[in-house]
Amino acid sequence: MVDLNNVSESLQRGDAEKVEELVRGALGENLLPKDILENGLIKGMDIIGAKFKKNEVYVPEVLIAARAMHAGMSILRPKLAETGVKNIGTVAVGTVKGDLHDIGKNLVIMMLEGAGFEVIDLGIDVPVDKFVEAVTKYKLNVLGMSALLTTTMIQMQEVIKAISDAGLRDKVKIMIGGAPITQNYADQIGADGYSPDAASAVDKAKTFIA
Amino acid sequence: MVKGGIEGGKYRLLSNEEIKMIHETSLKILQQTGIKSENEEILSHFSKIGAEVDLGKRIIKFSPALVEDAINKASSKILLCGREEKNDLTLEGKKVYCGTGGAALNVLDLETGERRESRLKDIADIAKLVDALDNIHFYLRPVVAQDISPEFLDVNKYYAALSNTSKHVMGSAYTVESALKVISIAEEIAGGKEKLRERPIISFITSFMKSPLQLADPTVLVLMKIAEEGIPVALSTAPMAGSTSPVTLAGTLAQVNAEQLCGMVLVQSINPGTPVIYGAIPTIADMQTMNFLDGAIELGILAAGAAQLAQYYNFPHYAWGGLTDSKIPDIQAGYEKGMNLVMAALAGANYIHNAAGMLESTTTVAYEQYVIDNEIIGMAMRALQGIEVNEDTLAFKVINKVGPGGNYLAETHTVQHMRSELFFPKVSDRSLREEWVSKGSKDARERAKEIAKNILATHKPLSIPSEVDRKIKSSIKGLKNI
Ligand code: B12
Repeated sequence: MVDLNNVSESLQRGDAEKVEELVRGALGENLLPKDILENGLIKGMDIIGAKFKKNEVYVPEVLIAARAMHAGMSILRPKLAETGVKNIGTVAVGTVKGDLHDIGKNLVIMMLEGAGFEVIDLGIDVPVDKFVEAVTKYKLNVLGMSALLTTTMIQMQEVIKAISDAGLRDKVKIMIGGAPITQNYADQIGADGYSPDAASAVDKAKTFIA
Repeated sequence: MVKGGIEGGKYRLLSNEEIKMIHETSLKILQQTGIKSENEEILSHFSKIGAEVDLGKRIIKFSPALVEDAINKASSKILLCGREEKNDLTLEGKKVYCGTGGAALNVLDLETGERRESRLKDIADIAKLVDALDNIHFYLRPVVAQDISPEFLDVNKYYAALSNTSKHVMGSAYTVESALKVISIAEEIAGGKEKLRERPIISFITSFMKSPLQLADPTVLVLMKIAEEGIPVALSTAPMAGSTSPVTLAGTLAQVNAEQLCGMVLVQSINPGTPVIYGAIPTIADMQTMNFLDGAIELGILAAGAAQLAQYYNFPHYAWGGLTDSKIPDIQAGYEKGMNLVMAALAGANYIHNAAGMLESTTTVAYEQYVIDNEIIGMAMRALQGIEVNEDTLAFKVINKVGPGGNYLAETHTVQHMRSELFFPKVSDRSLREEWVSKGSKDARERAKEIAKNILATHKPLSIPSEVDRKIKSSIKGLKNI
């Protein structure tokens, strides 16, 4: 018998192989995909998340756990779809045109994935059109933009304008971040949200799909 | 005042054997892992100069011979000039100079104490302040002028700096075109093309590498142009251990050194012997947030290690020290800055930037912090001077004269040596409590603010001759009057 606590614990250790093996085993024993997700994978991520907030574990430990979550999900996802369980939301994140900074963006992506979102990485130096196109192409719930330079942050305004012009503004929530970005700036350009770090970016994304 | 250029290098944390091991690992990285670029022009350049380029994977690999050749061509001594000769710097060996740095986004306003966006006027005012602070040896543009449109940013920042200090001015350029405009401004001030090459009153810094091991292509194109022009340029790479380089400090040094050697190969292939400064400035990432850390003790350790690597190759070294993650000039700022500056300086790093004014992981500066850091640098430079030992300083004559039970207060020997032997602080308070109280019980930050205000109200930097100013303003578009 596969014990779902084992799934949770292996996930917390970041043991992706073990998680895959256990998820496969659990499916073989006809455990419900929804149970494996909630009492195995998500439970493990929640424990890691709580420890992270208390400074008991650090980002690299969260990320290897997230990778294990991912590994488990890759096996579980088709079964979840068959049983009609939807993923919690789809987010695309990119760094705006002219900007090469991607560490913050990548961290936001990894944290979102860890929280169970389906995430599309649009990369760096992303032109306005590509952001607009992503909204319909991936049926996004949330679009995230990152800018680290005062010379590139103005691109965010362009993207929001182009999304409005395309008549898509009410289809997607837009959140932004990066060193020069402030809540004030987000309000000014009409973004739906801003967060100063990756952990709160996840919280923000969750409020958008709730 | 302690003049720049004092020798450091007594603090050595790597053995010769360990330096060799790091060097060899860097060569292995360059030969086996390689460096990535997405730009055709850059890839084809590397292919032409004998690197092994995989156009499909866009990876450039370097043979040890190619790297050694660049190391041998590089200059071991670089002159950076001020508009006044007394401010010249000679970067070589283990000589140490300290100055400002950064492209911070915010300033703590000197009047209100509030944090606000930085403006062009701040570049001018901080230049003026630095001009009067003796222990700050060069002026690297400290903030982004957020009131200037990106198109005219580079020319304005350089001109605001050059007009308000006669110390050496360093900055960056966002595009090749604006780099050329900046050079033409400097040529006008220096008195011509040749004169600027003889006495480079400006230099550039290029963040040409996106660690790990990937060229920041747009900046590389700027770097290639500057190298061709023969203007001094610093190669800067700032990986963070645990995020963009291995978490182990040795691995971080091996990687950042490989990145620098790639830059050396590039620059030497364009213009052999052009003045290029090795710019390994590694630090660590915060494991809690992955933020870039500046106040970490590991930054000081890595700066000292990188200085030893630069000395191994005989490259002048663009380094850093005197940084902090604190948001205000407080106790944390004091101890973090003091610790990491003294480590870089004792290791003999040549051109220590970001050593003055900077706060909050290079995103905020404060006027009073320049005054405080001027003092920290002075103390570090005094530490470098160490203890001079000769017949006169051993002082047997005066010891014998004063004899048991006497004192040295009114001896000629004391008068002769006190100014050179002892460091005289300007911010530190050494008075008795009564006097301190009677002067308003002010802390160091308050005292530093007063000094800063006083300098800004009274100091007159050497101005640029008005006919030169007129000529520059008429030929360069978008220059603001400040
Ligand atoms: C590392 C770094 C680089 C690296 C980038 C490597 C990489 N792979 O990204 C390199 C060396 C390439 C680089 C280049 C340059 N840089 Co830079 N860089 C930095 C530095 C030191 C740290 C950034 C970082 O990675 N932080 C760590 C991550 C985890 O934090 P973060 O990015 O802020 O992201 C967090 C939040 O902001 C938020 N977030 C971020 N994105 C998003 C998106 C969403 C949707 C949400 C919700 C949240 C969110 O969550 C993230 C995680 O917690 C900053 C200074 C600083 N202390 O911030 C300067 C800084 C941003 N750079 C600066 C400059 C000037 C440059 C250059 C122009 C330098 C030059 N002279 O060539 C070039 C520009 C290149 C280009 N076209 O983009 C300036 C910016 C000034 C300005 N004009 O705005 C800064 C402030 C440094 C300084 N004071 O000089 N840089």
